[in-house]
Amino acid sequence: MAEQVVLGLLLGGIYVALGLGFSLVWGILNIVNLAYGALVMVAAYITWQLSTSFGLDPFVTIPVNLVALFVIGYAIQYLVINRIIRAPFLYTFLITFGLDLVVVNGLLLLFKADFRSVNTYYSGSSLTAGPLVIPYIRLWSLLVALALAGIMWWILNRTRTGDAIQAVGADKDAARLVGINLAHTYGLTFGLGAACAGVAGALIVTYQAITPSAGEPYTLQSFVVVILGGLGRVSATVIGGMLFGLIEVLGQAVPGVGAGYANAIAFGVLVLVLLLRPQGLMGRQTL
Amino acid sequence: MTTAEPGTQAPEGSFSVVTRASQRRERILFIAAGVALLILVLVPLTSLDAAQSAGLPLLADRYWFRIATTILMFVIVAGAWNIIGGLTGYPAFGNVVFFGVGAYTVGTLVTKANLPYALALPAGVLVAAAGAALIGLPLLRLRGHYFAVASLGVAVATGEVINNLQFFGGASGIFMPIIRSDLLFYFLMLGGAVGTVAITWAVLHSRFGFGLIAIREDEAAAAVIGVNTTLYKVAAYMLSAALTGFAGAVYAEWNVFIDQSTAFNLDISIDSILMALIGGIGTLFGPLIGAAVLEYLIQSFAGGGSLAAYTQVGLGVLLTVAVIFLPRGIVDFFGGRSSFSLRYLRRTMRETGV
Repeated sequence: MAEQVVLGLLLGGIYVALGLGFSLVWGILNIVNLAYGALVMVAAYITWQLSTSFGLDPFVTIPVNLVALFVIGYAIQYLVINRIIRAPFLYTFLITFGLDLVVVNGLLLLFKADFRSVNTYYSGSSLTAGPLVIPYIRLWSLLVALALAGIMWWILNRTRTGDAIQAVGADKDAARLVGINLAHTYGLTFGLGAACAGVAGALIVTYQAITPSAGEPYTLQSFVVVILGGLGRVSATVIGGMLFGLIEVLGQAVPGVGAGYANAIAFGVLVLVLLLRPQGLMGRQTL
Repeated sequence: MTTAEPGTQAPEGSFSVVTRASQRRERILFIAAGVALLILVLVPLTSLDAAQSAGLPLLADRYWFRIATTILMFVIVAGAWNIIGGLTGYPAFGNVVFFGVGAYTVGTLVTKANLPYALALPAGVLVAAAGAALIGLPLLRLRGHYFAVASLGVAVATGEVINNLQFFGGASGIFMPIIRSDLLFYFLMLGGAVGTVAITWAVLHSRFGFGLIAIREDEAAAAVIGVNTTLYKVAAYMLSAALTGFAGAVYAEWNVFIDQSTAFNLDISIDSILMALIGGIGTLFGPLIGAAVLEYLIQSFAGGGSLAAYTQVGLGVLLTVAVIFLPRGIVDFFGGRSSFSLRYLRRTMRETGV
């Protein structure tokens, strides 16, 4: 039991990284980004390529992922999604689904459907603390995710860019009146969200084999994490991610329920939270 | 869903605003649909032995039947989605759950209870509608993104649970006793498609339909003027589910085999929304036209290996371009409130862009 709690919290690190970007884009731009999982996979393939070609450690590739995904995200928002940002949400929903198709199948053409994975010399080793066995990779993933949460909090709450992003999220017409360039700020927001996906992708490839279409569950899981924690705060996403990791590990440990029920558990939780506490456990916004 | 943006709301089709131009357009579409229906009834009859021995040309081979039946199936599911997503404004992303429930009801009744298919088919429709009432009561309290993803979640979770239960065949699925008749399944789907359009027409011209459109435009206001919003929403959801369940129930026997990946295939949900969007959300003929155009394209480019990936990339680009340039769909683009022109495109972009 104690071991499962620890494993759940460690797994939660991935969900924190995933949820941060998803929550930012949803909270500020009101876009549910269905291409999010595909962006995670783009990052995972960048890490895989760098470590296969140059022998780089997957954790070392994170800065490259950050920059690459930021640029990709900014470009997607500025060139494509900005065209329909004022349309009803169904349209932004569908356009991100279209982008998802393009990215996933683009990856398929580039990298084929084979499973790819990255192995490091410490992949199999763990830290033993009393009765607990903690894989190093999981531990470092959690630390990286928490560091990412710290950086995102700092950007959003302590920089002028963050002020601009929050202003746009609060009232875009007022933001425009005080001289904020909306198109650019939308791009920055989406770029930052994609950068979080970049970090998550690097973390995921350290412990899991990837294929171009492996990103889809991550979109759904990010959604559940954000609903669970609540929209609009970094701390809420951290709580939501950790909690989701716990629920997933503990839920599958129930006798008779196996890994085959992962999605059913996730969505059972999602629907329950939506019905009982739609603003999330720590959210400020109401429906 | 807030609908304050000018010109980008679910379309003001020819039904909420009746003008002479819109009446003429509707009449033209009705005539075109009538002619198309006549062709669709007559062409497959050339495959009958009697027609062949009378020396008529064979206009419908097995390949033709497969494509045509698939397209008609999507006319049903896209039209069914249009009732809840287009008319009522609740973007259900998990309508495939009703397709799966319809298919699995038929599969279970035929293989476990030895019920004849003719009885299992209506049972599939009823169970799907009942399921919609069950899911709809809690879920339809949510709006926008929340409703969209919650409905998606129900579809994913239901498919996964069924996949894990041995009673429903588990991961190995259900094999149906084979009924060899291209004509039967073709005409069932055709009947369903005609029924979907007819039901949509009836809804649009009824008090019920006006209530749904009122809910879409402003739910609080609709409640104030006396629309029982919960009842209307659940009824619309059940209607949508019954039609989708019909398509699933026919599909189960037509395809002979069902499992999670075929009966709860999320692509069915997504494709049907795309079709309604490309044709024109909330309009009578939009989903029909969108389903015919898109499914024909998908089937024409279908292939294995990297060709499939290129097809998907093309579909993604098509979707993106369609959303940007034709948010009101093909029906509006050709002779809607404005005519086919560059100005139309420029205006659309200005209304929805930053």
